[in-house]
Amino acid sequence: MTVHQIELTGINKYYGAYHALRDIDLKIRKGAFVALVGPSGCGKSTLLRSLAGLETISSGDLVIAGAKMNGVPPRKRDLAMVFQSYALYPHMTVEQNLTYSLRIRGIDKAEAKRKAEEVAATTGLSHLLGRYPRELSGGQRQRVAMSRAIIRNPKAFLFDEPLSNLDAALRVHMRKEIRALHDRLKATSVYVTHDQIEAMTMADHVVVMRQGIIEQQGAPLDLYDRPVNKFVAGFIGSPAMNFVPASSGSDGKSLLLEFDEPQTIPFMKPVKAGQPLLVGIRPEHFELAGDADAMLRLPVGAVETTGASSYITTATQPELVIVLNNRAAIRSGEVIGLCFDPSHLHLFDQQTEIRLG
Amino acid sequence: MSFALRDKVMLVIAVLLAAVYLFPLYWMYVTAIKTGSAMFASPPSFWPADPQWSIYRSVWESRNVGRYLWNSVVIASGAVLMIAILGTGCAYVLARYRNAWVDAGLFLILMLQVLPASLMITPIFVGFSQIGLLDYPRTAVILAIAAKSMPFFVVLVRATFMSVPIELEEAALVDGNSRFGAFFHIVLPLARNGILVSAILIFMQAFGEFVYSKSMIQAIEYQPASVGLNSFMGPNTNEWNNIMAYAAMYVTPILAIFVLLQRRIVSGLTSGALK
Repeated sequence: MTVHQIELTGINKYYGAYHALRDIDLKIRKGAFVALVGPSGCGKSTLLRSLAGLETISSGDLVIAGAKMNGVPPRKRDLAMVFQSYALYPHMTVEQNLTYSLRIRGIDKAEAKRKAEEVAATTGLSHLLGRYPRELSGGQRQRVAMSRAIIRNPKAFLFDEPLSNLDAALRVHMRKEIRALHDRLKATSVYVTHDQIEAMTMADHVVVMRQGIIEQQGAPLDLYDRPVNKFVAGFIGSPAMNFVPASSGSDGKSLLLEFDEPQTIPFMKPVKAGQPLLVGIRPEHFELAGDADAMLRLPVGAVETTGASSYITTATQPELVIVLNNRAAIRSGEVIGLCFDPSHLHLFDQQTEIRLG
Repeated sequence: MSFALRDKVMLVIAVLLAAVYLFPLYWMYVTAIKTGSAMFASPPSFWPADPQWSIYRSVWESRNVGRYLWNSVVIASGAVLMIAILGTGCAYVLARYRNAWVDAGLFLILMLQVLPASLMITPIFVGFSQIGLLDYPRTAVILAIAAKSMPFFVVLVRATFMSVPIELEEAALVDGNSRFGAFFHIVLPLARNGILVSAILIFMQAFGEFVYSKSMIQAIEYQPASVGLNSFMGPNTNEWNNIMAYAAMYVTPILAIFVLLQRRIVSGLTSGALK
């Protein structure tokens, strides 16, 4: 038996002339928590729906638990899905919602009721079993949707942006709860989100998609540390990475950052002289420096402070965003000195936007 | 002007308008129980001095109203049943698929509704008589009414189906149901109210249908109440009290249904009844 619960090979999906998924290759280990993340329209939901069987794929191989599933109807795939809108059946009580999948499979009523009570106990729904979905709060509905998925030990869980209808505080809470649930059940999960923070914090394996292709996949911190191109670099991390066009200095040991007033910084790694580059650096990798240590000296545009940290936007073209984890007494218009660890610089080719080195 | 005063003025206007609107109904009930001379008195009295309650019994028996009403019920029920079974499936498909063919289909359906019965009756009559359907006149009328009213039903019920989120069906599919199962377990129960209301409206329409019944049903024992009412009419008609008594017996059941179900009908027409 394969260790991969879900294997996708060369998946393509067309809507008429529109190419929604392009040559998707993805292997999902049994018990893994995989996040599909990307901007809207990137194909992540289409991919999830193809897994569920709600969309048919145009070409490629879709294998779940060792069995080829191309064209198999959803009910024979034994997957559970949590929808963005929760999709609770409005005319059924919470208990009937939970046991619906069991009743279809002909499990007897007493057994289904026992399972519903068991699941409800673990998700804190015991006192709500007799209610209808319209009588529940958003968070409770979300829990019912989750419980409906876990009641029948499916081969994998599919989540389609399950937290996007909740308010910010509840979202952070449910994030942890879903992860804890996954750790307890050890079930394979595929989680679609447009929120890279959700992807980074919850998943073992993050898949970044754009325009129907997988741009990069890997462990969350690998994506953060070594994005393969400018898109992934800018998508992962918040606030987003800063990009500055640059060229290597004639001595090969410095970079010329092309601000409106160009600045030179030392750089050790060998770069082809004269090659047009994009230099990326994350806002959180800057530090304030005194005159002696400063690698960059930049005028300050706006300063926003949240109490815990300060967000500084420079008055340069292009702008840089800098996050400082203290209350620096910096005012707009001031010129500040900045330093950073050169190993935190990311270099991309200016034309292809692909990572160099 | 204070709000309370404005509300009172509005109420008076509403009552006046309702009175104007309902006056013919009132006149029907009152005329039915008037004596011959009271009926033609000038100025007319708004309440008969000597109400003739026995008229209902005599009209019921002399005109065989029971048979007419039964025929109306048979025709209306048949038409509603046929429309509900065929139209629900049609409306569901039109609600769930969106492409050029569906748009064309919808356009044609709406077109059908534009054509008046008095225009359609001639081709329908010729067609039915050629295939021998006129030997079963009530069935023929049921078919004709079903064809006429189907678009109305389909358009209403389609809107109901569109208010049922497609995710619910998809959830049922992933939960392990087939498309048929999802339709019968999830979509149909949620659309029940809309379907019921549309069916009731169709029933009331069919119950009063006249053009097709008058043209296609020659045998008096198969004629519905609308045709029976018409048979009173002649060049020298003056038995208004009998006609009004007949009419009262004809519309009262419908009014009763409407009053009993009006809350449901209004809510079914105005809301998706979901979420």
